[in-house]
Amino acid sequence: MKKFIVTVNGKKYDVEVEEVKADVISEKKTVEESAVKNEVKVSGGNTPVEIKNEAKDGAPINAPMPGTILDVKVSQGQTVRKGDVLLILEAMKMENEITSPYDGTVTSINVSKGASVNTGDVLLYLK
Amino acid sequence: MSMDDRVEDLLKRRESIYEGGGADRVEKQHQKGKLTARERIEKLLDEDSFVEIDAFVQHRCIDFGMEKQRIPGEGVVTGYGTIDGRLVYVYAQDFTVLGGSLGEYHAKKITKIMDMAVKMGAPLIGLNDSGGARIQEGVDALSGYGNIFFRNTLASGVIPQISVIMGPSAGGAVYSPALTDFIFMVDKTSQMFITGPQVIKAVTGEDVSAEELGGSITHSTKSGVAHFRAANDEECLEMVRKLLSYLPSNNLEDPPQYMINDDINRLSDRLMEIIPDNPNKPYDMKEIISEIVDDGIYLESQSMYAENIITAFARLNGRTIGIIANQPKVLAGCLDINASDKASRFIRFCDAFNIPLLNIVDVPGFLPGTNQEYGGIIRHGAKMLYAYSEATVPKVTLIVRKAYGGAYLAMCSKDLGADFVLAWPTAEIAVMGPDGAANIVFKNEIKSSDDPVAARNEKIKEYRENFANPYRAAARGYVDDVILPSETRPRLISAFDMLMSKRESRPSKKHGNFPV
Repeated sequence: MKKFIVTVNGKKYDVEVEEVKADVISEKKTVEESAVKNEVKVSGGNTPVEIKNEAKDGAPINAPMPGTILDVKVSQGQTVRKGDVLLILEAMKMENEITSPYDGTVTSINVSKGASVNTGDVLLYLK
Repeated sequence: MSMDDRVEDLLKRRESIYEGGGADRVEKQHQKGKLTARERIEKLLDEDSFVEIDAFVQHRCIDFGMEKQRIPGEGVVTGYGTIDGRLVYVYAQDFTVLGGSLGEYHAKKITKIMDMAVKMGAPLIGLNDSGGARIQEGVDALSGYGNIFFRNTLASGVIPQISVIMGPSAGGAVYSPALTDFIFMVDKTSQMFITGPQVIKAVTGEDVSAEELGGSITHSTKSGVAHFRAANDEECLEMVRKLLSYLPSNNLEDPPQYMINDDINRLSDRLMEIIPDNPNKPYDMKEIISEIVDDGIYLESQSMYAENIITAFARLNGRTIGIIANQPKVLAGCLDINASDKASRFIRFCDAFNIPLLNIVDVPGFLPGTNQEYGGIIRHGAKMLYAYSEATVPKVTLIVRKAYGGAYLAMCSKDLGADFVLAWPTAEIAVMGPDGAANIVFKNEIKSSDDPVAARNEKIKEYRENFANPYRAAARGYVDDVILPSETRPRLISAFDMLMSKRESRPSKKHGNFPV
């Protein structure tokens, strides 16, 4: 996730942009993005706009608690078994193992080592 | 009419009641993978121990053509019997008879055995499989539910009440189970919800299946409504029997004691290895529990809900104990809203039924986050403090690793009335973790140092060595003894033995104001 401050006609806008992988952008997504952009221009407010990366397939694995990603143990496309460690989330001075809830394939990884995450943030997608 | 005729008449009447909704509907019930009400009772109770009550009861509704309806047994089978030779009362709703719908006399049959269960001091088990209120009976059906709720509440804390959901349970029907002590659900065939999928679709537009909305997985993982989940009817009823083996029949009795083969002086080398050297590494608390208790056997309640805290029944020296233990493997073992709810209800159940409490502590604190604060972690966390303080059963606390801040208190510290507090040498009992504490206590030293990073690390180390141990707490008597992990089992058995004669009274009052 990258943050930008965009100045339009002298007004400042906080914009958060997340890189979306080309192969997962659907046509609908592109339309939504432009719609969102338009909204920023028109509304003139300073609400941060968040563009979420929604993978086409796979279910999200969410962060159970706020913390820092200490290690990513899997890579995109990797097959995992139920109980395999996907990531290590350091929180409350504990290296919490985020394990796979079922057998599957990692379709996309949304965080990198050192990233701070909040409760509910999508860490990766698993199919 | 001769005696023979009368006997034949009686047998015929009985036979037609035993048939329930008839062969077709029984067949349908079986096709769904469900047993009938009578089959369930047979499986639940000791062989041939069931004695039926009120088989001949009939409804008195004359609206909507009900006067012509024959409803065998009023759609519910009630009576008493034994489990492991101990008296229990049971009712089983019969889905084959008018969908097991609850009318005035269906409810009266249930409330009659509820009253008997309380009077005789024996557990009540309800096998629920009902389409809901019998609409034709209108407000009389509602009154039936109300009467059941009222009795559930009065019986709470007097006799164990167990609800087994073995079919649909919708609308008002869910609240009787919710008022009881434990809810069992059968996978795929049981659902519980206040408003069904169709109503939800109509009102909020959400599309959700009945199973997704109120199935056993949902209530075992998301809502925490169900305590136990079984694959099928047979397994479920077997689990009920198992649970009852841990419980006394009423609040004036002690739980049953069993002969054991497990040596009460058994030492465990395994316990010396479970805690990782690095305090930031998780481990599985269940390994510790199974090393300590008789034969390594324990029965977990709500095992898939708020897994950061474990609530389980087990035995030490053949006597039931209730275990509340932090699980470092999940959410770092933090206390949060759901964990507080789960634990405090379990504590109150144990206290009501004379089951001593063993608290195994490895807790870094309360879970931080806006959703916790907005969700009211303050009032939910308070439940643990209240439940522990209020409990007068023997309370033994074992601190195996972290015990920080308010969460240390909330896990039944000496101050909340723990009768005996033991700690392993790995225990870290302090107001907060070394990193945070060093930042505050040594703020100025770190700031004014030439190399703040090194100074900070030095101070963290210093704090860890001096404070993150059990000896500061032991020096004040907050910990009664520091023990070798290997000798935990004999030490706990000795502690609970010593506490058997515990007597503690509280000022008399109507009731406290529990932070619900």
